[in-house]
Amino acid sequence: MNFEHCIRCTICVESCPVFKVNPAYPGPKQAGPDSQRFRLDNEKSVDSWIKLCCQCKKCNVACPYGVNPADIILEAQLAYSEEHLMPLTAHMFANNYYMETLGSAFAPIANRVTGISIVKNIMNVVGISTYMPMPSFHALSLGRSWKKKGKGKKKVVFFYGCFLNYNRPDLGRKIRDLLVSMGLEVILPHQVCCGLPALGNGDLKTARRFAKKNAGILCDYIDRGYDVVYACTSCGLTLVHDYPGILDIPNGQKVAENTWNIHEYILDLIDDGYVEPVFGQMNKQIAYHIPCHLRALGIGYPATRLFDMIPGLEYKIFDENCCGLSGSYGFKKKNQETSIKLGEIAAKAITDTRPDVLVSDCGACRMQLGHFTRLDALDPAEILIESLTKATQKS
Amino acid sequence: MINTDVIIIGGGATGSGIARDLALRGIPHYLVEKNDFAAGATGACHGLLHSGGRYVVTDPDSAAECISENTILRKIARKCVEKTDGLFVRLPGDSKRFRDRFIKSCKEVGISTEVLSPTRAFDLVPNLNPVIEEAIRVPDCSIDPFRLCMLNAISSRNKGGVVLIHHKVIEVIKEKGLCVGIRARDQFTSQVKEIRAKIIINASGAWGDQMAKMGGSQVPMTLSRGSLVITNHRLTNMVINRLRPPSDGDIIVPNEAVCLAGTTSITTHDPDNIQVDAAEVDIIANEAEQMLPVFGTTRIIRAYTGVRPLLKAPGGDSRSISRGFQIIDHENGMFSILGGKLTTYRLMAEKMVDRVMAEFGTKASCTTAEKPLDGQDELSGYPLSKRLKNLDNIVCECELVTKEDIKRTVNRVGARHISDIQHRTRLGMGPCQGGFCTYRALGIMQEMGRYSPDESMKVLKDFLQRRFRGIRPALWGDQLREEQMVEGIYLGILNIGQEE
Amino acid sequence: MSKTTFDAVIIGGGMAGLCASIHLLEKGLKVALVSKGDPVISLSTGCIDLLGSTPDPMDGLDMLPEEHPYRLVGSDGIVESIETFKRIMAETGLDYVGDAHTNRKILTPLGTTKTTCLVPETIMHSEFSDEKYLHLISFDGIKDFYPSYITSRKTLAGYSTFDAGVSTTMAIASRFEEKRFLDEFISWLKALEVPPGKIALPAVLGIESSKEIISRISRETDRKIFEIPTLPPSIPGIRLFRRLKNLFQAKGGYIYWGNDVASFETTNNHIEAITLSTPGRPHRVGGRAFMLSTGSFVSGGLFAHRDSIRETVFGMDVYLPGPRQGWFTQDFFARDHEIEKAGIRVDKAFRPIDSDMENLFVCGSILAFSQVMKYQCGNGLALSTGFMAAKSLEAGIS
Repeated sequence: MNFEHCIRCTICVESCPVFKVNPAYPGPKQAGPDSQRFRLDNEKSVDSWIKLCCQCKKCNVACPYGVNPADIILEAQLAYSEEHLMPLTAHMFANNYYMETLGSAFAPIANRVTGISIVKNIMNVVGISTYMPMPSFHALSLGRSWKKKGKGKKKVVFFYGCFLNYNRPDLGRKIRDLLVSMGLEVILPHQVCCGLPALGNGDLKTARRFAKKNAGILCDYIDRGYDVVYACTSCGLTLVHDYPGILDIPNGQKVAENTWNIHEYILDLIDDGYVEPVFGQMNKQIAYHIPCHLRALGIGYPATRLFDMIPGLEYKIFDENCCGLSGSYGFKKKNQETSIKLGEIAAKAITDTRPDVLVSDCGACRMQLGHFTRLDALDPAEILIESLTKATQKS
Repeated sequence: MINTDVIIIGGGATGSGIARDLALRGIPHYLVEKNDFAAGATGACHGLLHSGGRYVVTDPDSAAECISENTILRKIARKCVEKTDGLFVRLPGDSKRFRDRFIKSCKEVGISTEVLSPTRAFDLVPNLNPVIEEAIRVPDCSIDPFRLCMLNAISSRNKGGVVLIHHKVIEVIKEKGLCVGIRARDQFTSQVKEIRAKIIINASGAWGDQMAKMGGSQVPMTLSRGSLVITNHRLTNMVINRLRPPSDGDIIVPNEAVCLAGTTSITTHDPDNIQVDAAEVDIIANEAEQMLPVFGTTRIIRAYTGVRPLLKAPGGDSRSISRGFQIIDHENGMFSILGGKLTTYRLMAEKMVDRVMAEFGTKASCTTAEKPLDGQDELSGYPLSKRLKNLDNIVCECELVTKEDIKRTVNRVGARHISDIQHRTRLGMGPCQGGFCTYRALGIMQEMGRYSPDESMKVLKDFLQRRFRGIRPALWGDQLREEQMVEGIYLGILNIGQEE
Repeated sequence: MSKTTFDAVIIGGGMAGLCASIHLLEKGLKVALVSKGDPVISLSTGCIDLLGSTPDPMDGLDMLPEEHPYRLVGSDGIVESIETFKRIMAETGLDYVGDAHTNRKILTPLGTTKTTCLVPETIMHSEFSDEKYLHLISFDGIKDFYPSYITSRKTLAGYSTFDAGVSTTMAIASRFEEKRFLDEFISWLKALEVPPGKIALPAVLGIESSKEIISRISRETDRKIFEIPTLPPSIPGIRLFRRLKNLFQAKGGYIYWGNDVASFETTNNHIEAITLSTPGRPHRVGGRAFMLSTGSFVSGGLFAHRDSIRETVFGMDVYLPGPRQGWFTQDFFARDHEIEKAGIRVDKAFRPIDSDMENLFVCGSILAFSQVMKYQCGNGLALSTGFMAAKSLEAGIS
């Protein structure tokens, strides 16, 4: 009974991005532990505002007592969705994976379609926000290039996630090659969406179906001595936090225990003396925006410790702001204003320091902040790759 | 000077019930209460609308009254009664013979029972101790005693009755050996009102003897202190009783967003002694833990105690004294009504008024059992979750009290004390016990021009001190953390107590 | 399992822990800061209470009981710590004013005054006399500020209310960061033509840019402006916390935020590592020395059971002021509840007396006999014991 430990100190309220820009949202304390006292098992939920929480989980990280308001809120969101008809947009985003599979199969058409104004109008009607271009689809998704790459004592399964798969397969392949260059055997097995979009849109069933499917695939490899590595921090948090947690699927704990953040993993390889990568000089100043779900993982910001090894690289950490897109949250019309305000706040903090480039582990953060800062938005792996490449070129 | 027919002293359930009864029979009356409604034993009980099960073995007559009143109040006080039903749970070692007598007596008295297997019982109350042998379902309910008194008072006012709260009786006026009226002092303005009447009804509960003595008489009473604890949130949606003879800590009642558990039974001599010992809290928590194991680790937010005015029985444990009631005609114009319990307050009022009707030459009979209480339309009632619909302008974030609730209460009741608002809205009754909202509520009253600065500081200090009295015996774990946090606000950020 | 090893692992990201870790970073050590959550300084007034009883805080030192942690820091240590703190804050861009020898009074939202020592620039004009007019600004619908608390106590005061479109302190502070909003506010304020005197507002003048915002308002209205710290959420507290945390990271410190310490490893009374209860797999953080700065009950460093008190990370013995019945006096305003003495007893080097761990140091309000409420020494005690314990740790591993 976590909510019982809440002493109403308001630390979670201080950390909540939505609360400070959207007066309709009562904040994590009210939405979580306070309201929980009025949510009885046998009563119907009426708290429609609960959907305004973007599940950035900043409140979980901020709470010094382990109340985990975001988890309480997520349960209330799921209960609300179960008792009320889901809007069309929620269905669409919950089943994002299928849409993207389609989008990818018909990539040129899909891209042209989401860009034209008449379609934008339709999107507006069904409640999809259009302030930012929808991510574009790619025909050559990663799921089709599942062959084993590299050789090494250590073997990893790369859980690439939907964004890399459908929107940035090029980057996905780069990251795979980065892992290979660390002396690893890498495999990209067929996998489905991690389940987070479904969870975020109130569809526990779909989320659980995806999770079970992935757990089956991943455990098959784990049993054969593979470690699971992810680059997308939202997928990662879902695998380690939600699979054994709210989704409570068979083998969820096993997946969680054997899953690593890519930078955490590389750092361990270096610490263990498994590899000794040589990083080349990079005279760049980067703004490193910490994705909310990396923060929520609690493992610190491991990429920064790799950045520390790159000569000439300067970075500044931005870990106080949520980019506001928060998966499909910002794509919904009713959240558009919140999303834009949060995007602007996070972008201003970054542009004030005049960096050369923006870096973030999360595809959604990169889209949103790339849009608002007008900076190139890179994955931390791209920085590592660039530096490693420079080192090879030199030698 | 004011003239009326009946003066009622005491704004508990009995007093306000009498006021309503008189009103419905058309008898002019004044009710005088030194504090707020339900300030004595009425407000310091479990808030249990007994089915009668608790007394059915030891006191079948009381039990019969309970079930009949229980049925009536479910109808007439819909918004103060939550129809929870109750379970009597039998734990290993609890007498099976008692159980058999319980079922038999319930049948005789007319309390419906249903024997549930442990599995069925867990479905209803997942927190039940897994070792229970069985549970018996009875029609217990949860009732809000404060609202009950308030609605009775509204019914009285609507028919011309006058209810004066925060008026302390300082003198019973006597002429030729008869009690002909009272002098009552307004606790805020110190203004004294003289009220004369044909009959004075002493319904002042634990203060009954003090009041009777003012009239030159006395009433034999035993005072028994019963303490209870309040949990952070609901642990059960049904009333839970232990299936054994009445004892310490054997009842847990869900009430609004919390649970109340108790009681103890300690003989006392001073009705104003309402300090709870830490040891009492431990006893209650340990007993309640037998029925709901989660009680062992749950957060207790406050403890409180009520002094029961029981009929005098020489010697013996106060638990074995009948919970029946008694009307005493002092033959000097004053009547005292004492004993009884919250569940049967209406019946007590009816009997009391029946007794004095002869004085007024009208034959109006009691209709309190048929007519619903006035003023219920405005109450939110149940289910609880519907209160989450709109969270705009919430001042008390624990109990979802809005700024408008406070303003309305101040304007309507003329509330002058923060606790007046607290009782009417549940402001500050949640886990932080007013830690944040006291400052806000007083601020709103201040903006409404209700206070001078000195008054507001005094009211604030009084409130914080009284609040602390209830919290202190429960200070460990989360509640201790919360309390130190609240201390940080009032003594640290606001620096109260050291201002020049 | 991660084998990353740090020179120092600081457990507890509050005032004490942040100051200690910044000191160690400045000495060139590799530092990890582990915190279960955000600290209570972000709920505080953002001011530094040093010692409240005397006009010169340092005069009060001799009156403290022998066991008080300030006795370990010593008067020189305190003065030095205060100067170091000011230097650090200047580096973050959130300057603090005042010195260790001068207490000042600031206005509270109840209209009372509160004794403190250092204040951020936005509060530095808080002192005012009853003879001079004070104009208060409030905001429509704001829950945590009622100007009449102040105007009813002070004869020469008035107030005006601005409609910010939002009503929580967090939301208003966030709006002040928008240039257009600030423009509107300033032109509204100028149009008011308030009588000569200072202008005070609840502390909502921006989260990141308070300094720029207040100086612009002051410049354009030609008035002295000051903020009144409100009930939590407390914007000056948030500013203080975030600046320190950001400075820690900017200096190369590494943070682990949001998880409990699940367990720790020792060999021969030497702590090797702690393990965090991160989702999925526990995360190991190794270090050469460890600092415990987890705070008292509110922060969760101590936890009171019905009949005992536990230190929550290492399970150390805690100084316990008798049985529960005696923890609190009957008087809410007493400020000398016995429970305030509970905590970890340390030696001169800030090592716990009741523990065998040789590479463990303790600082902040978890220290026994701190009695922060009684002596009004909250943030001052945290930062000075933080710096001193850090020095001791530094000496311990060199």
